[in-house]
Amino acid sequence: MAKALRFRFSRGQELKYIAHLDMLRVFERAIKRAKIPVAYTQGFNPRQKLVFGLPMSIGLTSESEYADIELVEDMQPEEFVTQINKGLPDGLKAEEAVSMNTRDNIMNQITAARYEIVFEVKEPRSRFEIDTIIYDLLSREEISVMKKSKKGPKPVNIRPSIYSMSAGKIDAGKFLMKAFLSAGAENNLRVDLLMQSFSQETNLEINIISMHRKALYASTYNEWKNPFEVAND
Amino acid sequence: MHPLTMMQLKIDDSILLKVEKPAKYTGNEWNMVKKHLNNIKVRFAFCFPDDYEIGMSHLGMKILYHILNKREEVYCERAFAPWVDMEQIMREKNMPLYTLETYTPLSEFDMVGFTLQYEMSYTNILNMLELGRIPVLSKDRTEGMPFVIAGGPCACNPEPLADFVDFFVIGEGEEVILEIVDEYISWKEAGESRAEFLKRVSKVEGVYVPSFYDISYNEDGTIKDIIPANSDVPGRIRRRIIKDLDSVDFPDNIIVPYIGTVHDRIMLEIFRGCVRGCRFCQAGFIYRPVRERSHEKLYEIAKASAQNTGYDEISMVSLSTSDYSSLPELCNNLIEFTEEEKISLSLPSLRVDNFSLGLMDKVSKVRKSGLTFAPEAGTQRLRDVINKGITNEDLVSSVKLAVSGGWNQVKLYFMLGLPTETMEDVEGISKLSINLIESCRDITKAHGKALNITLSTACFVPKPFTPFQWEPMEEMDSLMKKQYHLKDLIKKRTRNIKYNYHDARISLMEAVLARGDRRLGKVIYTAWSNGCKFDGWDEFFSFDKWMEAFNECGLDPKFYANRKREYSEILPWDHIDMGVSKEFLIRENQKAYEGDLTRNCAAGCSACGAQIYKTGICTKTRRGLVYGESTEV
Repeated sequence: MAKALRFRFSRGQELKYIAHLDMLRVFERAIKRAKIPVAYTQGFNPRQKLVFGLPMSIGLTSESEYADIELVEDMQPEEFVTQINKGLPDGLKAEEAVSMNTRDNIMNQITAARYEIVFEVKEPRSRFEIDTIIYDLLSREEISVMKKSKKGPKPVNIRPSIYSMSAGKIDAGKFLMKAFLSAGAENNLRVDLLMQSFSQETNLEINIISMHRKALYASTYNEWKNPFEVAND
Repeated sequence: MHPLTMMQLKIDDSILLKVEKPAKYTGNEWNMVKKHLNNIKVRFAFCFPDDYEIGMSHLGMKILYHILNKREEVYCERAFAPWVDMEQIMREKNMPLYTLETYTPLSEFDMVGFTLQYEMSYTNILNMLELGRIPVLSKDRTEGMPFVIAGGPCACNPEPLADFVDFFVIGEGEEVILEIVDEYISWKEAGESRAEFLKRVSKVEGVYVPSFYDISYNEDGTIKDIIPANSDVPGRIRRRIIKDLDSVDFPDNIIVPYIGTVHDRIMLEIFRGCVRGCRFCQAGFIYRPVRERSHEKLYEIAKASAQNTGYDEISMVSLSTSDYSSLPELCNNLIEFTEEEKISLSLPSLRVDNFSLGLMDKVSKVRKSGLTFAPEAGTQRLRDVINKGITNEDLVSSVKLAVSGGWNQVKLYFMLGLPTETMEDVEGISKLSINLIESCRDITKAHGKALNITLSTACFVPKPFTPFQWEPMEEMDSLMKKQYHLKDLIKKRTRNIKYNYHDARISLMEAVLARGDRRLGKVIYTAWSNGCKFDGWDEFFSFDKWMEAFNECGLDPKFYANRKREYSEILPWDHIDMGVSKEFLIRENQKAYEGDLTRNCAAGCSACGAQIYKTGICTKTRRGLVYGESTEV
């Protein structure tokens, strides 16, 4: 039994067209509909105590998102999963939950994310050609992209945020890119930004078919961990 | 096939990821109605001629969606005007406008219904019809094509849209829409022609088939006569109303959009109509008589809605919340459960003169929302002309009350260009605003923050079925002069007063369309052909294109907007009977010029004509005002 839970959820095709804040609202309403005994913040504008691991941009699906929720009554993790799913719409599904007892929240713990991106190339390329392009790109010390900041766009070197990147061919013109990227509050590389830069820097005209998040990780002492493993750190 | 699979086939990411807020176009929201098409006898596309975020905020659509879908053999679906980015792609890819429930093009529906909330959305109707592959002009629609119908407040003068709409529904839709559906089913079973259906439906009370009426004109351009084509057709079309609000279904399982909309909350309609007869206000006349929903029923609806939607806000909806007779009971009951469930409760359009401190305190326990006051005019003289029974003292004391209750943001709404308005009245607006800040200084000193006012002025647009329906709209230049003058007057106060004003050119077009006749159909068609759409949006409105359209059609906008009409003139909407009589409106018009107030319906009957409906407040024994007697005459 626990008063704080960490849960993993997936987001499918149906719900991939909404932005992060909208998804937050979808969850808040689902929690109310499902009558989850969620805790609220104090004050005139009470909010549910609900924290997401990493925002999801429009277009992204995922099989492995994490969120922390605080409750006012004890609840079994399994019961929580069954219950919240009654309030969630098609396209969002809680998969599993664990009790949690950490002062750190999930948002601060997430440090990396794994993605799969399906893309098409306008001109036919072999697997070897794409490999070479990626190899050349990753050999650079600096890959500069313009990132939005408070003072307007400014150049940022994203090379250190790319931990790995590789591509396999699906069929003529279609490739599957796997990318392992820095993520989280401290240094986040958005996958759409990576793909945009990939296309620009290599002069490869691509059309993105899908972007999918495979996993999120927390790290402690240079070891990638499943966020459930650090739920009680 | 599940709708979503169809969507994946038809609209893929290459489209959806290129447009802003793609969730406007994907449907499948929580509580969306899903039905098997094989059992459906009538497919109804409810169309809102504006953006999804506006349309999904509209209560009328939620009500009719619910009422229609409760009938097993009827499927009501939704369509909205696609935003410009989406429209461009749809046109490039030759994609028809479709409904969000089943991705069906509008052309495949039995009936396509538009709600007329605002005159400036008329071009969007034409645009949606074209995008939906339906001939824009009624006369071009042939057997097998959908019937295009329209209703809503602007339908009280349907004439400008007579060329495009097969028939109009005048008044409240809950009952008549089902009568129309029944007529459709029996017509279809009888295998009759399109023209036969229009004949059948013209006999349904509240339905207006414009093609059954001939309009002739005098040499000066005014209307000579409105003649029904045959004796089967009613000479006047009487507006439909719901006699007892508790007897009709109200939705407690409304669709919850995935993206934020303008009114993204539970809307609790507490009553229809308004006892106050503010002379500029169309809503104050076309929804008479006042009919309330019982507070017990409202409480049930609120509880069920909260459970079914997960919304964290409930807002009462009416023209004047504080005139609801069981407001204390309703609030007490609602506050108890909303507090427990962390739902915020909003009470909009509370009147200045009977604002209750106790109520305000209770509501603020939950959440404090902004406060809005609508004095409408800057001087007592002009407020008397428009029958807005508020005094300066009322306003000052209410704002003071609000400020001591913790609010320090106040919105003030005024109108420029009201009949008889002078520069002195305009200056009154700035005096009143500054006076409010000064009067509250003692209280605000304690917070260290002066009162902040957002001042908005709209341009007065004379509307049908109001005592000002004969009045000219003020000339644009003169309106602009007033706007600039007011801006100048509060220049030194910009730290505490923010001033917004409406584009006078949009208001002019609104005035033309509101009181236009059916010759304007040509102008609307031409303007739309020249690219006009989303005319209510500053960024899309093109005054020049509209003026060109008038030129091309040989019509003068001033004839419709800026001309003083005689009481004896036949008005384009004279064959529509909204319940208030012309005699009453003439009396009110004359009283306006004398600055003579008319008591509100709660205080006594002024014989407006709505007694014919024999319901609501017209049948109640008169009682005194529930809150505050300050406006009593």
